[in-house]
Amino acid sequence: MSQYYTATDHFVLVPAIMLALFGCAILLFDFWVFPEPKQRKWLLAFLALGEAFAGYGLWQQHTYIAGQGIAELTAFQGSLVVDGFSLFFNWMFIAAASIVALMSYRYLEVEGEHHGEYYSLILLAQCGMYFLASGADLITLFVGLELMALCFYIMVGFLRSDKRSNEAAMKYLLLGGFSSGFLAYGFSLLYGLSGSTKLSEIGVAIARRDPADPVLLLAMVTTTVGLLFKISAVPFHMWAPDAYEGAPTTVTAYLSVGSKAASIAFLLRIFLGPLASARAAWEPLLVFAAIASLTVGNLAAISQHNIKRLLAYSSISHAGYMLLGLVAGNETGIKGVAVYVLVYTFTNLGVFLVIVALRREGLVGDNIDDLAGLMHKSPGYALLMLICLLSLAGIPPTAGFIGKYYIFLSLIQAGRYVLAAAAALYVAVAIYYYFRIVRSMFMSDAEDAGAMETTFGVRVAAALTGLGTLGIGIFPEPFLRFAGQSLIR
Amino acid sequence: MNLLTLVLFLPLAGFLAALLVPRDRPGLVRGFVLVVSLAVFVLSIGLALPQAPAAQGYWFETNAPWIQSPAIRFHTGLDGLSLWLVLLSTLLTPIGILISWNHIDRRVKEFYAFLLLLEFGLVGVFVALDLFLFYVFWEVSLVPMYFLIGIWGHQRRIYAAVKFFLFTMTGSVLMLAAMLYIYGVTGTFDYPTLLTMLASGRWHVESGEQMLLFLAFFVAFAIKVPLFPLHTWLPDAHVEAPTAGSVMLASVMLKMGTYGLVRFCLPLFPNSARHAAGWIVTLAIIGIIYGALVAMVQPNMKKLVAYSSVSHLGFVVLGVFSFTQAGLDGAVYQMLNHGISTGALFMLVGYLYERRHSLEIADYGGVATPAPWLSTVFLITTLASIGLPTLNNFVGEFLVLQGSAQVNFRWTVFAAIGVILSAVYMLWLYQRVFFGEAGEPVRHHVYDLSRREWAAILPLLVLMVWMGTLTQTFLPAISASNARTLERSNVNVEFQVKARTPLVAGQAGQAEARPAKEPPDAR
Amino acid sequence: MLDTIFFYLFALLTLLGAVLTITRRSAVHSAISLIVSLVGVAGLFLLQRAEFLFAVQIVLYIGGIMLLFLFVIMLVNLDRAERERQFSKAWWLALACVVGVGAEIAYFLTKGPAAFQFPPGAASPGVASAAAGGNVERLADALFSEYLLPFEMASLLLLVAVVGSVILAKKRI
Repeated sequence: MSQYYTATDHFVLVPAIMLALFGCAILLFDFWVFPEPKQRKWLLAFLALGEAFAGYGLWQQHTYIAGQGIAELTAFQGSLVVDGFSLFFNWMFIAAASIVALMSYRYLEVEGEHHGEYYSLILLAQCGMYFLASGADLITLFVGLELMALCFYIMVGFLRSDKRSNEAAMKYLLLGGFSSGFLAYGFSLLYGLSGSTKLSEIGVAIARRDPADPVLLLAMVTTTVGLLFKISAVPFHMWAPDAYEGAPTTVTAYLSVGSKAASIAFLLRIFLGPLASARAAWEPLLVFAAIASLTVGNLAAISQHNIKRLLAYSSISHAGYMLLGLVAGNETGIKGVAVYVLVYTFTNLGVFLVIVALRREGLVGDNIDDLAGLMHKSPGYALLMLICLLSLAGIPPTAGFIGKYYIFLSLIQAGRYVLAAAAALYVAVAIYYYFRIVRSMFMSDAEDAGAMETTFGVRVAAALTGLGTLGIGIFPEPFLRFAGQSLIR
Repeated sequence: MNLLTLVLFLPLAGFLAALLVPRDRPGLVRGFVLVVSLAVFVLSIGLALPQAPAAQGYWFETNAPWIQSPAIRFHTGLDGLSLWLVLLSTLLTPIGILISWNHIDRRVKEFYAFLLLLEFGLVGVFVALDLFLFYVFWEVSLVPMYFLIGIWGHQRRIYAAVKFFLFTMTGSVLMLAAMLYIYGVTGTFDYPTLLTMLASGRWHVESGEQMLLFLAFFVAFAIKVPLFPLHTWLPDAHVEAPTAGSVMLASVMLKMGTYGLVRFCLPLFPNSARHAAGWIVTLAIIGIIYGALVAMVQPNMKKLVAYSSVSHLGFVVLGVFSFTQAGLDGAVYQMLNHGISTGALFMLVGYLYERRHSLEIADYGGVATPAPWLSTVFLITTLASIGLPTLNNFVGEFLVLQGSAQVNFRWTVFAAIGVILSAVYMLWLYQRVFFGEAGEPVRHHVYDLSRREWAAILPLLVLMVWMGTLTQTFLPAISASNARTLERSNVNVEFQVKARTPLVAGQAGQAEARPAKEPPDAR
Repeated sequence: MLDTIFFYLFALLTLLGAVLTITRRSAVHSAISLIVSLVGVAGLFLLQRAEFLFAVQIVLYIGGIMLLFLFVIMLVNLDRAERERQFSKAWWLALACVVGVGAEIAYFLTKGPAAFQFPPGAASPGVASAAAGGNVERLADALFSEYLLPFEMASLLLLVAVVGSVILAKKRI
């Protein structure tokens, strides 16, 4: 161990190393050891092993930090940091990636595009997310973001014979690259302003500057634009509906929770870290983006017939809610965003899981009418979908309510009553389109009587998401405490 | 775990268990849910037994932490106001199961399961003493009703279900925002604590602020009641719902709104409530007369009964906002009366529908000949509904009119017109359906009450007479809790003083603890 | 003096190339003009004693990216595009961008180095880098010490890119 790679550095990096290692291992083993299609389930075991090792590393970090009673542990000259925030998000990524992998197996078989690389990409994307959640340096964050995004570009286009998938990948790649350009430009200005790439030093430099400095404003605006692109907030949301619709459903699920959560973590790191002192300047931008996201997301979702597209718009509106928590800016608000992201992860995975389970030979299952009469065909999945949709809409006692509740509470505590009222009213709009799905499932008759074919993995994933969604709603206490630890500084 | 918690959670357990019953055994599901709901009812009778004086506190109180921060407690309890409403819910659930026995033939398991879930939500609403918990139960009760209407309803069921849900939800999210605001200022969701803070002056609200909070709560409740301009969802929901759904909706769910008015609007925002009483009562009276007039011209029986509900619930609101002991007692009594008599009316209309498969009044006539017992029962219910003395509605309406007369005699005059109109439309309905020449379909299809139908309607008939004659069984508990509500609604909140700092116990009170002002004159 | 002459030379090259890039009808000509422009930029880098950037500019942009461009252009049939009028409808967007960037450059020119805060020791880049053993060495130092982690991450990024291009392009995998 040298000066530039100390024991602490290693300790902090272990989960990422494990993810990358098993990601590469899957590539190799898929090629040499398990060439037969039947043997692919071993790759799933590899992925599980990778997650387990990463989880063990995280667990060690967790206990170390708790045991030492320190707030954070920095490594690589301050490029990486392990704190409650990074741990919170990384645990969530592990859950999301595992659930997505569980539900992918049969789906990819049906699609006829089952390749080992898929699992490798899941792990490598998660590795990128790891750096996004725990990076404290512009370059680390940026490379982490690109690593994650690149994996997603490929996964979105994974159905190579499907035109929609190809188109979605292309669109996502172009717009994603465009937004990365904005972000890089903003970062370069931030570097110019402070002479350092470390978030903490940038924060100090910015705090010393006049908040109305045009260079600072330019840096902030370009950075904000790039970040809003990544979380698909209006007016930079155009890629989301197409990418969500065209991507394989399992990838859409991963994209909507993993990529979104990581981007939110990234956004919180930037806005609550270096840009915290320029709050007066960026707050109006975020208020505008949040309200626009709520408006566009909710209103556009009403007229959608494709569930994946509908969920894309709904995810845009959820980005609006998350931004509102940041706008409120108090402790409740930040905790609220964390809770919201956690809840959203389980809930949205549950919804996509049902769509994935519907997929079979001859039925795509992403049209609202495809869900008709699901209650007869398989009541268990209908119930899961119901719980998750109620949660997305924010109706107690599901988890989604707890998330929305925190956001509203934080807005009210911050004295932003108009925003709180607007956010609350959009819940009613959201119910309308979520209940279109419910209506189709419960109140229409099935068009075809084909039964659902599910596998053990899908059932396990269903149980996990269902329990998560209901459990957080009914016994929120441990989760809230967990999210409470995630506050930055 | 006390009796109340048991009554609350038994339906939930029943709901979960019913979901596990195999789909192809509808008989088993029906039997099972009937047994569960009867058990709940029997247990709930135990709630009415002790009646030991509960001066400030509540009977069967449970107060356990649920979420630490923000402090949300699982706080439930009963008082004179909620006791009878809980009993009404637990009574009507087995009745609803009985009347659906043959009527529901598809997705049987889910139907009965949802009825139990609905019971859970309704009982929860009436016993919750924590604002947050109240909101949770409020929403929980919405979902099963949405499905009851949407899955087992008539032709336009989906439209009606969505309308019902959206109306209620829009109101309730505003209420949630107001609750969060209250939490932000006071640091607690606990209802009794809030009352104490208000009484001791530790929680002050400015008048404009209070009015906004009051309105947020009021609109949510007024939609549910429903008060005049917000009533449009009600006829749709009632007409499209299956019979059991209509019964539960009319008898119990509408009471959630009036219960909320008495429980929260009056004691928590006394000044605004008094301030707004004038126009609220005006709306209530418009509702009474408008509902009656519209009911008169309905060709559809269920719609007629639905509009009569609008009219009857206008009385309840009138009584509540008269701010008199008699008016409040009458209002609460009228909630129960309406639950029983309108519930019975919906059941009887449902019986007719099962026989003739039509809700149009024109398709009937001369039913009295083939079904004398059905006609008799319908007559008693009709008479109860129009407020014949010795039957239940008379007591409630009389008290409400008495209470409103103490405040403003003109209100009484207009409201009394509503009573007369109710006699007109109900008797006219009765005449058109039961008398006259019995047509071919009527003679062929309409038969008299079966034993199961008797079993369902008889308890309600007994109650109509009981509540009309032995009022002392019910009124003392109601009066006691109403007296407390009135007393609380007399607290005058200082409008000048403003408290923005959270007043959590401990640090609270030091800053601006001051004794409450003398209550102003009620009028 | 010599520096100034070279500066104007390279600047002229850059501008000329850029103008030709957007005015030439033939795509191949455009691409070649772009190469000329990039060579100009590389020259400007060299004048600033940024040898590494100079090399990267030549190797990466001209040698790598532009060559790929040319390949693509030659593979794609561009006859039709050549005959059509080549005015984009989104000219106002381009105009807005130009105005924005122009304003920005004007601001930085008037404000000078005061607009930024340079890291200590980098106030006069040429002198400092010469003292520390040159631009390239300093870059290497930073890359393998302070920025070791992003450097390693970039290898992962490249791996993903390779895997992705294979997956998306190969017919049977």
